[in-house]
Amino acid sequence: MTEAALSALGSLADPSMLLMLMAGVLAGLIIGLIPGLGGTAAMAILLPLTFGMEPAAALAMLIGALAVVHTSDTVATVLLGAPGSASASVTLLDGYPMARAGQAKRALGLAFLSSMVGGVIGAIGLTIAIPLVRPLVLSFGSPELFMLTVLGISMAAVLSRGNAVKGLVAAALGLLFGMVGTAPTTAEYRFTFGSMLLADGLSLVAVALGTFGLAEIASRAGQKKSNEAPVSLSGGWMAGIREWLSHWTQVIRGSLVGIWAGILPGIGATAGTWLAYGQAVATAKDKSKFGKGDPRGVVGPESANSSIAAGDLIPTLMFGIPGSVPAAMLLGMLLTNGIQAGPSIVTDHLNLMYLIIWSFAIASVVGALLCFVSSKGLARITTVSFSVLGPGLLAIMMLGAYQGSLQVGDLWIMLVLGALGWLLKSTGFPRAPFLIGFVLAVPLERYYFLTDRVYAPSDWLTRPYVLVFIAILAVPALLALRRRFRKDVPADQDAPPPASADADGPLADSVWSLTTSVGLLAVFVVAFFLTSSFSDEGRLVPRLVAGVGIALAALLVAREWKGGSFAPPRPERDPEFDDGEASAPTSGTTLVQPSTAVTRWPVMTPMVHNSTRTFAWMTVFVVLATLFGYVPALLFFLPAFLLYVAETRPRTATVYTAVMVSIIAVVPVFLPIHLPGGIFVG
Amino acid sequence: MSITFARSRQSTTVMCVFTALAVAAAFLGGSPFSSAADTADGDFSKETLEVMIPLAEGGGTDTWARFVGQELAPRVTGGPGFSPVNEPGGEGITGSNQFARRAPADGTHLLVSTATSVVPWVLGRSEVNYDFAQMTPVVVNGTGGAIYARKAAGVEGLRDLVDRDTPLTFGGISATGLDLTTLVAFDVLGVDQRSIFGFEGRGPVNLAVQRGEVDLDYQTTSAWEPSVGPLLQNGSVVPLVSFGQLDEDGEVVRDTNFPDLPTVAEAYEELYGEAPSGPAWEAYTALLGVTYTYQKGLWVPGETSEGASESLRKAADDLSGDKAFNDKAAEVLGGYPLVADDGVKERVAEVYVVDDSVREYVLSLLRDTYDIHLG
Repeated sequence: MTEAALSALGSLADPSMLLMLMAGVLAGLIIGLIPGLGGTAAMAILLPLTFGMEPAAALAMLIGALAVVHTSDTVATVLLGAPGSASASVTLLDGYPMARAGQAKRALGLAFLSSMVGGVIGAIGLTIAIPLVRPLVLSFGSPELFMLTVLGISMAAVLSRGNAVKGLVAAALGLLFGMVGTAPTTAEYRFTFGSMLLADGLSLVAVALGTFGLAEIASRAGQKKSNEAPVSLSGGWMAGIREWLSHWTQVIRGSLVGIWAGILPGIGATAGTWLAYGQAVATAKDKSKFGKGDPRGVVGPESANSSIAAGDLIPTLMFGIPGSVPAAMLLGMLLTNGIQAGPSIVTDHLNLMYLIIWSFAIASVVGALLCFVSSKGLARITTVSFSVLGPGLLAIMMLGAYQGSLQVGDLWIMLVLGALGWLLKSTGFPRAPFLIGFVLAVPLERYYFLTDRVYAPSDWLTRPYVLVFIAILAVPALLALRRRFRKDVPADQDAPPPASADADGPLADSVWSLTTSVGLLAVFVVAFFLTSSFSDEGRLVPRLVAGVGIALAALLVAREWKGGSFAPPRPERDPEFDDGEASAPTSGTTLVQPSTAVTRWPVMTPMVHNSTRTFAWMTVFVVLATLFGYVPALLFFLPAFLLYVAETRPRTATVYTAVMVSIIAVVPVFLPIHLPGGIFVG
Repeated sequence: MSITFARSRQSTTVMCVFTALAVAAAFLGGSPFSSAADTADGDFSKETLEVMIPLAEGGGTDTWARFVGQELAPRVTGGPGFSPVNEPGGEGITGSNQFARRAPADGTHLLVSTATSVVPWVLGRSEVNYDFAQMTPVVVNGTGGAIYARKAAGVEGLRDLVDRDTPLTFGGISATGLDLTTLVAFDVLGVDQRSIFGFEGRGPVNLAVQRGEVDLDYQTTSAWEPSVGPLLQNGSVVPLVSFGQLDEDGEVVRDTNFPDLPTVAEAYEELYGEAPSGPAWEAYTALLGVTYTYQKGLWVPGETSEGASESLRKAADDLSGDKAFNDKAAEVLGGYPLVADDGVKERVAEVYVVDDSVREYVLSLLRDTYDIHLG
């Protein structure tokens, strides 16, 4: 075995192999930087290049790219609040607040170092797992996977501290959205309204980029005043490394959770990364900083998302069961080279296995180092006004999301979810539970039915791992109950933190949050009635979720009502309020309301007003793209937004548009990237 | 003030220029750069074969289509380029619909078919707007498969499938996918089973068999050796019956990849002492043809000129006889040769006509046994 490992390492010392590996790393880093493009795009772009290559060289390149896409996708996540991929939205929770507090460089440094070690631990895990994987995978049947999804959903409560009801409503909404499409066990269409686009379910990339990325653009792009802390680029690399070292246990734990989530087929990278974050929060003594820029909230998930990519390779290679689309494409590439994945791969192609492991480890280290040394430069991007970055970011994100399904409908889904995400964010609903609910909806239902069909309750509820999960779920709840009975305990860190303006939504406790609650209640009620047309089996879970959603949303409405949420938003919470009239846009276009209207109708605070205007522009863009195609839409939208919203100089707008459009128009000629065509055009 | 004014005038100019560019781009994009391809003479020079793969990247069919397309294109007269297009959606329905609606009938656009897009067509689902009976096959490629069972569930041979005290558990993905052929085989043989659907793929079902959660499973030929092979070696499962293959006369014969396993027809004879017949059997042979023997294919629209489609078919026939290709393609083709001889059109046409009686039988089986109501 050592011999094979060393000979694989030796083959990587061959300059041409090393060149392939580095080419893969570079390609992976660049693709990862672009929000919406991740492992799938990396494989789609690189696979055609590998035709005719030696399998070893091709593998080095592909693995090199796969190992690092989740390293560089942190950049947009942390700096711009636009998740580089669905799983990167986890890092957003703490990484983005850090960057907004001026600590972008620190956040990036922590993330890259964690990715590096996560990748290396993942590669080690890949080695160790070869003999262990079989018992591990076989000991995890449907009941265990079901309990794992339940654990994931229950994290919604952990992640919405102080806002439990809102968090649970958001989780229920996510579950409901996740059930749009084909039912996992009955193959019937649910909540699709006859649309074939919805039959496949909402695209995860569109949902993640919409609820986080577009919502961020909407709340910041129209904003004149920058209330950011100045970017701090101080501190040497050593200081960064030293701080990161102090979190080494988080790195190890995150990586282990990641490998584990990667090995189990059916959980997925996004849910796995949430699990890593959840365990970091659940086991922390002082939880108060999570969600506001806690370094542990960056280190845990970043270690995990690299090691998940390694863990994912284990079932792919050992059982031929790919855990993700990129893994499936890797299987295809092996197949076209005459290599059949399966248990025999260890005996027949051991050298290739080691080649994969070494490539993964080396790529992780090199990729993260490249990112780490450039983090200072990257962090500078936060000094650019968001209103200038916003439109370009929108164009890139929408293009990224489009690559998944090649359907313009996905742009609309993204837009609608962007509006929903903005509303949730502004009115103080945590969005993390929403996304968790979304990614776990199908596995939850699938493994519930499989468990229910295969086992009697007395059988599966007493399985050892299930008991472990029940303990994990029950013990914290019991402890909390005990604390509640012991009134003498002073208000400790578990007490709801005081509502602080930036974390809890500037429109919370206002007529906006009341309206949102009523709207969500209506969504659940409609969903409940829609379920009556489903088959008995297909109805059970959606109806349960809608029912719980109705109860929770009703509770929320009652609370808001009692709390007197008829009030307009509290002025002190609006990030732009004290700016008053000065902040209101003054350019003389018809789209812009005069500032007097803003003060007369206080429900439309400056922030609401700016966000609405940005959404209106985004809608115009998507309409144009739908009708006339992507390039014409960009040619109109980019200069218009830059000139009239961002109020840049005409020269800036011209150069910006010319560069953006040329790149976006030319890339599809060389790479398998597709542009929306437009109804009247294509 | 004057600066603001000057700036706003500049802005208007910039806006006007870009809007004009946008309009120009929209029009340019609209004008087709390439006029209808002139391929009726069978010459594809300067053309590109655009292969519509109605599924996401990765997975067996995508791999198959890319591999075959890559090898096929250079052999077509004139050496056209090759451009695979993935249009995932509706498990193959969206992309196939789009192909039926838009693809020009000049041989430059080809559609990949596979079980997930064929079965909804067989079932006559309302979402399906494509019709394989109206298309021309260029090349087809079959697959096979076999059913096996867990010994610990009390199965040693065929007879243990019927008249059981407790039904066997079959692990399925979805009754309206490739599993359908297996369900009809169970109905033909009278297998005493209850089906559980919702598994993510055949790989997870195979793992569920190893965990003892599921008793009955089938695997296709290419997955058989890696997934069932080790279980046969340790003696935990027993192979029971292969789906068989349709021969040129439409009879079910042994699959050369499972030479020692009885086909469904032979198994029926062994169990009941006579050859199978009746609506269930007719449905089985119909499904066997479209989901196994001629499962994957490249198709052109039916109106494509004979010259163009024949040129493609001959290139494929040439490819299927190439030893170097077959060696390289062994794993991708999964043990079954590419078929593109000059009789393929007729044979496929015979198989890809599904009688109403078959459709009715299948719909009633799904309704009565599996509580699945399709229009």
